[in-house]
Amino acid sequence: MNYIVVFLLFISNIFAVDATMEIVKRLEYIPGIVIEEKTMQSDNAGYYSKKIHKVLVGDFKVSGHFNVDDTLGSFSDFESLISLNPNVKGDLLLKYETITNSDGSLLVNAKLINLKGNSLLFSKSYTVSKSERFPFLAHKIAVDVNKQINAPSIEWMENFVVFSKFITAKQSDIVISDYTLTFQKTVVKGGFNIFPKWADKSKESFYYTKYLNKPTLFKYNLFSGKNEKIIESDGMLSCSDVSEDGTKLLLTMAPKGQPDIFVFDINSKTKKQVTNYSGIDVNGNFVDDDKRIVFVSDRLGYPNIFAQTIGSSGVEQLVYQGKNNNSCTAFKNYIVYTSRESENEFGGNTFNLYMISTKSDFIRRLTPLGDNQFPKFSQDGESIIYIRNYKNQSALGIIRVNYNKSYLYPLQSGKIQSIDW
Amino acid sequence: MVKKYTVAIVASAMLLLTGCSQKSDVDASAQKGAESADSKLNQLGAGDGMMKLSDEEMKAQLIKDLEGKVESVYFAFDKYNITDESNSKISANSKLLGEGKAGELKIRIEGNCDEWGTDEYNYALGLKRAKASQDAMIASGTSADRISIVSYGESNPVCTEHNKECWAKNRRADFKLLP
Repeated sequence: MNYIVVFLLFISNIFAVDATMEIVKRLEYIPGIVIEEKTMQSDNAGYYSKKIHKVLVGDFKVSGHFNVDDTLGSFSDFESLISLNPNVKGDLLLKYETITNSDGSLLVNAKLINLKGNSLLFSKSYTVSKSERFPFLAHKIAVDVNKQINAPSIEWMENFVVFSKFITAKQSDIVISDYTLTFQKTVVKGGFNIFPKWADKSKESFYYTKYLNKPTLFKYNLFSGKNEKIIESDGMLSCSDVSEDGTKLLLTMAPKGQPDIFVFDINSKTKKQVTNYSGIDVNGNFVDDDKRIVFVSDRLGYPNIFAQTIGSSGVEQLVYQGKNNNSCTAFKNYIVYTSRESENEFGGNTFNLYMISTKSDFIRRLTPLGDNQFPKFSQDGESIIYIRNYKNQSALGIIRVNYNKSYLYPLQSGKIQSIDW
Repeated sequence: MVKKYTVAIVASAMLLLTGCSQKSDVDASAQKGAESADSKLNQLGAGDGMMKLSDEEMKAQLIKDLEGKVESVYFAFDKYNITDESNSKISANSKLLGEGKAGELKIRIEGNCDEWGTDEYNYALGLKRAKASQDAMIASGTSADRISIVSYGESNPVCTEHNKECWAKNRRADFKLLP
């Protein structure tokens, strides 16, 4: 599982001086946790046991709620409430045994032990019907351990990420994965498929653009396999955002060859043009209870971030720095955007992510280097996912905004083009 | 003396002719009871059918030929304006695609970008490049009804190395033909 390399990029006081930010829910005490697997497992079970351990370590680190010991210990007696290691340091001990079944399923029995009092906190069994789904099994264990210490929820770790993966010219597949890219499954294959966007909070369906005679928007249900055509457009078509209730889409379309932003009503199947500019208007995001949009436009001669109330023609410039601010994501009053601040168009310091507040002059740089693109807020606003291209490698990045930490999960092959979670 | 030779030659020629005639008569009598094997062969056409292309095949061949001749136009980083050099290429493309049978074909202009930026903006930028090329084609005399545009953003590279020369090749508009 070498590809689950978690890099700690930077630890800086990103939000330390922002008086407008919500209060960070910090734990008063960060508990230490050690992990032990059962000894003498079969080769196959041992293989998955090691993989589960690496995912668990990553989850605990990314949560920001644990001081995790990277080393994997071992035990022989599952019932014992103490560690065999006399030098073990920590507050919590997670013991687990992995069982592989002939039908391909995986079973893990896990116990969480309070080492301070040698008491059992929980004992649970977890299973997946196919062993390659083990990352979700590990994420579920991490979520339960996190719940046990009453830390802020990390249930987002159990969610699917959806992204388009470049195969070759004019060919991209849509792939779902866990947030570490350890589990991956191609769900739309063949042809050119881009811009996947979850249809609503349930994440059972997503919208995506498929290039047929014209770029065409489809809605695909992960569970039923239903693939419903929604609308088509000349030139380009992307679903940039979905309203809170899932009934309205912000689409970038070009029915007359000009890329502009439209609101599309899912129920009435009608569209209404929001922006009207002869250059580029793109990447709309709902803000302010879905009454306003934040978007990217080149109306000042270079791409920058603007806001407009739906139904009005007035446009407000939101960002006053950077020479090429070409993508954005919004959560409540906060906007994260991509910016190229170097004079050299292909310099090493190429595209970085910044966060601003619409209610103050707060601004913070979130990434230190590389080509960082396609930022997307999580549904709870506590994390930002993005695509990072650095030294010819594509990776999924996660910024935990309330914990001042950032992690990268490299894609083994191919290139991530667009992403949502 | 000459007379003797002349008589001898004439006599020999007569013998030869008589001999040939007799052989032909033998063959003809042998064919009377034979079964003909050439009835299907006699039904064959003139033999030029193998060289004949259908209209569709001729159009496909024409499209292939023309796409080998039309020139792509290239753009500066983050720009979609048509340079004088590009305008000359587009005028030549417009002339070429307006001649004879080429004038019956539809034109699809595909806008493309380099790998910098995987965002929607890149697709919009590719679209503006296609649109600028379309406007220049129309200004050069090509009917607007014949032209459609589409953007592939950074997803249709002709060069996959990571250097400036390669990126410059990918910031382009291609002229494709449709039957």
